[in-house]
Amino acid sequence: MGSTTASGGSEYDLLNKLAPHLDRHMIFPLLEFSASQLIDEESGTIKDEEKARQITQAKFALTKRTNMTDYVANLYCELEGLDEAPAEYTERKKQVFSQLEKYEQQTAKITELLERDDVVNALRSDKVANLEFLKREHDVTIDMVNALFDLGNLQYSCGNYGDATETLYRFRVLSTDNDKVAYATWGRLACEILTMNWEVALEEVQKVREVIDSKLSQNPLAQLQHRTSLIHWALFPLFNYDKAREPILDLFFNAGYINTIQANCPWILRYLAVAVITNRTKAKNMGVQQKQMKDIVRIVKQEAYEYQDPITRFVHALCIDFDFEEAQQQLVLAEEVLRGDFFLLAHADDFVDSARHLIFESYCKIHARISLTDLSARLGLNAEAAEKWIVNLIRDTRLDAKIDYKEGTVVMNHPPTSVYQQVIEKTKGGFFRTQVLTSAVGGRS
Amino acid sequence: MSRFFRGGDDSSSESSSEEEELYSTSEEEEARDAEQEESSEEEEEESSSSSSDDEAGPAKKGLSRFLLDQASSESEESDEEGTTKVKSAKDKRHDELEATISLIQNGQKINDWGSIANEFDKLNRQVVKLQDGGKAPKSYIKCIAELEDFMNETLAKQKVTPKKMNATNARGLNAVKQRVKKNNKDYQSQIDAFRKDSDAFMESEDEVVPPPKPSTKLRVQETYVPEAADEDEEKGFARVDKRGKAMPFSPESILKHLRSIIESRGRKNTDRVEQIKIMEELSKVANTPYLRIRVLQALVSARFDLGAGAGNVMPLEHWKAAEKELSALLKILETEKDHVVIENAEEWDDDEKQPTLAPEEKYIRIPGSVVSYIERLDDELTRSLQAIDPHTSEYIERLTDEGSLYNIILQGLLYYETIRKDASLEVPQESLNRITQRRLDHVYFKPAQVIKILEENAWKQISAGVDSAITPRNKSDDASQLVNILCNYLFEHSEGIIRARAMLCQVYFLALHDEYYNARDMMLTSHLQESISNFDIATQILYNRTLVQVGLCAFRKGLVYDAQNTLQEICGSGRQKELLAQGVMIQRFNQVSPEQERLEKQRQLPFHMHINLELLECVYLTCSMLLEIPLLAQTGSSPDIKKRVISKTYRRMLEYHERQIFTGPPENTRDHVMQASKALAAGEWKKATHFIHSIKIWELMPSADEIKTMLAKQIQEEGLRTYLFTYAPFYDTLAISTLSAMFELDSRKVAAVVSKMISHEELAAALDQVTETVIFRKGVELSRLQSLALALSDKASSLIETNERTLEQRTQGSANAFSRKDGQRGGQRGGGQRGGRGGARTGGNAQRQAGGTQFTGGALGAAVRG
Repeated sequence: MGSTTASGGSEYDLLNKLAPHLDRHMIFPLLEFSASQLIDEESGTIKDEEKARQITQAKFALTKRTNMTDYVANLYCELEGLDEAPAEYTERKKQVFSQLEKYEQQTAKITELLERDDVVNALRSDKVANLEFLKREHDVTIDMVNALFDLGNLQYSCGNYGDATETLYRFRVLSTDNDKVAYATWGRLACEILTMNWEVALEEVQKVREVIDSKLSQNPLAQLQHRTSLIHWALFPLFNYDKAREPILDLFFNAGYINTIQANCPWILRYLAVAVITNRTKAKNMGVQQKQMKDIVRIVKQEAYEYQDPITRFVHALCIDFDFEEAQQQLVLAEEVLRGDFFLLAHADDFVDSARHLIFESYCKIHARISLTDLSARLGLNAEAAEKWIVNLIRDTRLDAKIDYKEGTVVMNHPPTSVYQQVIEKTKGGFFRTQVLTSAVGGRS
Repeated sequence: MSRFFRGGDDSSSESSSEEEELYSTSEEEEARDAEQEESSEEEEEESSSSSSDDEAGPAKKGLSRFLLDQASSESEESDEEGTTKVKSAKDKRHDELEATISLIQNGQKINDWGSIANEFDKLNRQVVKLQDGGKAPKSYIKCIAELEDFMNETLAKQKVTPKKMNATNARGLNAVKQRVKKNNKDYQSQIDAFRKDSDAFMESEDEVVPPPKPSTKLRVQETYVPEAADEDEEKGFARVDKRGKAMPFSPESILKHLRSIIESRGRKNTDRVEQIKIMEELSKVANTPYLRIRVLQALVSARFDLGAGAGNVMPLEHWKAAEKELSALLKILETEKDHVVIENAEEWDDDEKQPTLAPEEKYIRIPGSVVSYIERLDDELTRSLQAIDPHTSEYIERLTDEGSLYNIILQGLLYYETIRKDASLEVPQESLNRITQRRLDHVYFKPAQVIKILEENAWKQISAGVDSAITPRNKSDDASQLVNILCNYLFEHSEGIIRARAMLCQVYFLALHDEYYNARDMMLTSHLQESISNFDIATQILYNRTLVQVGLCAFRKGLVYDAQNTLQEICGSGRQKELLAQGVMIQRFNQVSPEQERLEKQRQLPFHMHINLELLECVYLTCSMLLEIPLLAQTGSSPDIKKRVISKTYRRMLEYHERQIFTGPPENTRDHVMQASKALAAGEWKKATHFIHSIKIWELMPSADEIKTMLAKQIQEEGLRTYLFTYAPFYDTLAISTLSAMFELDSRKVAAVVSKMISHEELAAALDQVTETVIFRKGVELSRLQSLALALSDKASSLIETNERTLEQRTQGSANAFSRKDGQRGGQRGGGQRGGRGGARTGGNAQRQAGGTQFTGGALGAAVRG
């Protein structure tokens, strides 16, 4: 998609990898972001002229094939240093407008119908019957419905996302053409993402997921590709809408999707790892969070030969090698990466905080006695703040630990799990399971 | 002279009819009367006598002539006898003829071509006996004329109707078609007369019928007799065939010779070497591409026949000759673009003239299969390599022939590529696949440099203008690219076994070239481990080889756990030799039939493809040691986990080694590993390293030094773990600096190892950051009762699980079965890369628990509801 040759600054910039799986409209904000990264915060000047120009060029290449003619013309002027855009753009603008008008005329009737309450109330859940009804009562033809699709497409292409989503919604209500409905669903998802209407976007994600799982089960390759796209698109709601986090993480950890990530786009692991790590304080269900953490550790380990960046290296160092110093170093690098990432920028602080917690937690698990001074140095805090931090931590995580103020140490107490407890744990479910078994056997005979 | 030839001809037509009898499916005993058999027996006698004459050789021309005369007089006598008897039985034969004709007519009515074909053969045999003076009975003429008409009609119909005939019918029709064409030519004038006025023909007396033309074959012989005489004059003698015919070689007679040779193929008493000599002569006189191709084809097949039969190996000189001829054949095909040899061409029946290019046709099609020749040549080389002792220079000499074979394969591939370009030829994709597969078979197990040389030499043979579409010339110097291209091609264009083999070859190649992750991923995504048992044995062997190669690759990468896991299946079985087809196992318990033994011998790989078994064993045992020794130390005396064994083979060896009262210095690989194990178990890692390093066979590995360093590192780490497991009960605290000095490891590394063990709950301890020590917790050792209670609870839960699984199988809950399978697959992908060594235990526990919870919500829930 597009020739997004402009590469971001650091070696960990994923723009080039993400771009092929995103829609050109969605790449746009990413490019804007990389452009804004170049602007020096204090002076407001652009640091790297060459790069900025590259980005503008990329933007131009990206939008060239859309119908956002005004904007393209502006970009063109900026690139060529012209004051006035060439005539072809005005020409094209006219064309687009005439086309738009044509489609609007074609669909005017149906749009009007769908705004009438009596018509809408007469509609049922059965699409075929609905179409029949409209045909009979209001002379709606299938061509008119399809014109809705084209209109939606054009509106989207012009950057008019709000209208596009509305039009596509109408189309989807009426159309019986499954393929087009699937496209319309994708289209709506894109529109909702671009209008930042996360709640609806989330619904659309689920719909697209259903479509992929049901329709493409016969075609594994297409399924893989569609899943890859969905994963990339879902990044937008994942990091911009807190409520979206859990359902989308669920989606990502679904066997089919996690395999897709491993097979087709291991760089998503960065986002996944950040999402899981930052989720630890917010998650309602600790069990799920722990399982996800375990999964992410396993996958990071498996994919280490294919994909590595400071974030995955941090996970690797902390949870696989137990090399705390290395983890500390990687965390510093990871923070930098996070600040340069379109999706993760807002979560950088959150991540660093959670990561510190994580380090400390596993540190405490292993150590019996830690000196406070050492710890404060490690956390990058002064002694007093470190003490506070630890007290909070002990309270939050219900660690069995005490501060020995005189010695200046934190003493951890690790009670061994008693054998009795273990036996009880192991045999706990037995009765229930046996009961289920007997009832199953009894039911059969 | 001509009389004699006549006799000879009769016998040859007899013999051809005999052959037809051989082929005809129904053997109606009553149809053949006793005399016929008698006469054929006489024929055989005669032919054997003449073949004994033949041995006298052309030098004794005068004598042989004389003997031949005798023989011919004998045959005349027998002929006379035949005729006297014929006269007495003539009416009987006429009756039989009529009966057969009516059968044919019946067949025509119900359109049963199968029986028509049979009856037609019978008819032709009968009519030979009834011909007096070359005149066939009129009813016969009528019958064949009608049959021809009917046949043409049916053929015409068949073109129009889309419905296909069934197989037997279609086969019958084809057989009849060919035979009618050949046969009716002999009786053409009579048939014409019949067609002109059927009634008049039937009524007319025998005398009125014009005497039939002598059969074509006769005429041909008469024409070349003078030439033979010429040759006689020139050379003083002519080559004489079995029946004493002079055998002149002229371009015109080539096809005839070929036919007789092809007909005698596969029979007893044919002297193949003699035939080959004849054909060699023929190939010298062949002057047109068509003739040359035909002769070469027949010659190559005849040479292959020499090697036919169990345990026989094709003689070396014949193999080389066959290789030359095949190469010549491919050269001709390359230069003469209008001749093609394809499998689905129709046989050209006319011995008299060569086929010419019809105006609307682009090619002269010659039936035959180049790919089969190449495959056969390849197989013969393998067989001869199997038979030669690999430690002789003879083997190496023989191995050099692989280069020329590879050239031929490449030429063949190019040939198929060119003819496949033309859609009108309908070359099946399969041929191309087969030849590509052969090429891959010669490449996949070789190191890149060797392939490069092989490729360079092969391309040198091929004229510069020619290039391959599949494997372009410029891309073939990079071995990995070449293998990749070949495998991808096969993967896209084939299915079933060839596809699986292509994948395995690629994995093998990748593993051989140290691309472990690619190889492993491809192996896993192929999902062959699930279906490999359905494939043929050769493919299974390839699978085993690939698996072993992947394991060795993992070892070279330092991934001990993965290497052990991968090799376990093959090496743990103790049947490496058999599984890799690198030697026949001595069966101790059950007798093997000679048949099985022969098959097994055939499967053996030639020595140059072998994977070094001793090296394999060494790698396997070393990996097992690195995993087993810490495990043994960890389990110690507790009864519940004692059962967990990684490698039974290794354990057995270790036990055996420990039973020995006196142990001498290590002699072989196994001794080295065992003594190293012992040292490692005692915490003497330096000694262990020394033992392992003194194994000679490491030198066979590329970059042996790196591997030794890797092993030393692994031994240090595992030594540390073993030490901690073994001596933890005797310590209260242990300084990290002490450990790091003891094992010469970085203290950070020691801390990491200890942390890992603590975190995985393998070690009941904690680190003290202030004093940099490991503090061992006390009172965690379980009493006997406690550990037994734990074991009991484990067993109870596994019992429930088994029950659940059994019920699930019985109920066949489809939805749940699916989800479980899915989960397993995910596990498989992870399986190869499961967490660290220590993680295995906890990982296993977690999995079980997960399975349990999943279960209650899963299928059984459905079962309860239902």
